[in-house]
Amino acid sequence: MPVMPGWLEVVVRSGIAVILLLFISRSVIRKSLAQVSYFEFISGIVLGVILALGSINLAIPIAFPLLGLLVWGISPYLIGWLTIKSARFRHVVYGRGIPVIKDGKILEDNLKKERYSSDELLKQLRSKNVFQVADVEFAVLETSGDISVLLKKDYQPLTPKDMSLSTAPIKEPETVVMDGKILDEPLATVGLNRNWLELELEKIGVAIENVYLGQVDSYGQLTVDLFDDKLKVPAPQEKPLLLATIKKCQADLEIFALETNNEAAKQMYTKHAQQIEDMLKKVTPLLR
Amino acid sequence: MTVASQVKQCVASLKNVEATLNHFAIQSQDREAANIFKDACLTTRRIVVDLERRVGELEFEEPQYKGF
Repeated sequence: MPVMPGWLEVVVRSGIAVILLLFISRSVIRKSLAQVSYFEFISGIVLGVILALGSINLAIPIAFPLLGLLVWGISPYLIGWLTIKSARFRHVVYGRGIPVIKDGKILEDNLKKERYSSDELLKQLRSKNVFQVADVEFAVLETSGDISVLLKKDYQPLTPKDMSLSTAPIKEPETVVMDGKILDEPLATVGLNRNWLELELEKIGVAIENVYLGQVDSYGQLTVDLFDDKLKVPAPQEKPLLLATIKKCQADLEIFALETNNEAAKQMYTKHAQQIEDMLKKVTPLLR
Repeated sequence: MTVASQVKQCVASLKNVEATLNHFAIQSQDREAANIFKDACLTTRRIVVDLERRVGELEFEEPQYKGF
């Protein structure tokens, strides 16, 4: 076999290394770099070093880096599989979250065991916008070194449920226009078509070429962002308009009830005014 | 403006409300929301029917204002 010149061998080896790297990084689990465990992080580095050495150190026969790659590539995969199968194995490999604050009291023993200083604890709490330890009901030191905090109920943000407000149910909006092009598939999933879209755009007086992004919310209302930021796009008016009209009709019916001298008509008006009021109560959260 | 024309205006507004509610009932992706809109639409329909009967009575009482 004719011997390859050194430079060509580097090119070939590097090419193989790039392809292998692409494959390996595709098969690695979907985690951001901040989330990987120490073990996964190190095995990633080892893989990189093997690839780098294998591609430029021509003294090493090509089979050696490939074998090393095989072992270092498969073992994180294998361990990942085992951790899913066995909870005990998972706790051995990754450790588990340790409570550091319970019932509003700092558990100093657990902190000491993890060699976590009070300054570090305060810093982590501050990063969660907690400046006073007394506000915390429960906190866990996660295996990643982060702290997860459960605030006492009276320090948690107010939710509609706390106020017993009824809210409109919400579904994910669909993006139907991107870079001035209509996306037919998302349009179809919300049961709309191009004609509808063209009509809606005509209503707000915008050409399709000028639309950078268009989204339809779960109530079939279109909102758009234009290339031309100087143009003002009206916000969807259908809902507030409907609410106002219903309120006006209700008031009208009450006035009719007061004005009429016909007893039967008076009762009819009052009954319907009441019905509209009940309806308003149900519909208002959806239309706000 | 006569009483009859005021009631007629109200009927027209209610018809508008009914149509818009129907529109939302069809377009809503959420089943619960769609049901609320549908119920509201039916309620409005009933009121429109009653009011239209009343308009008939008013026109009978004041035939000189019929049609507007």
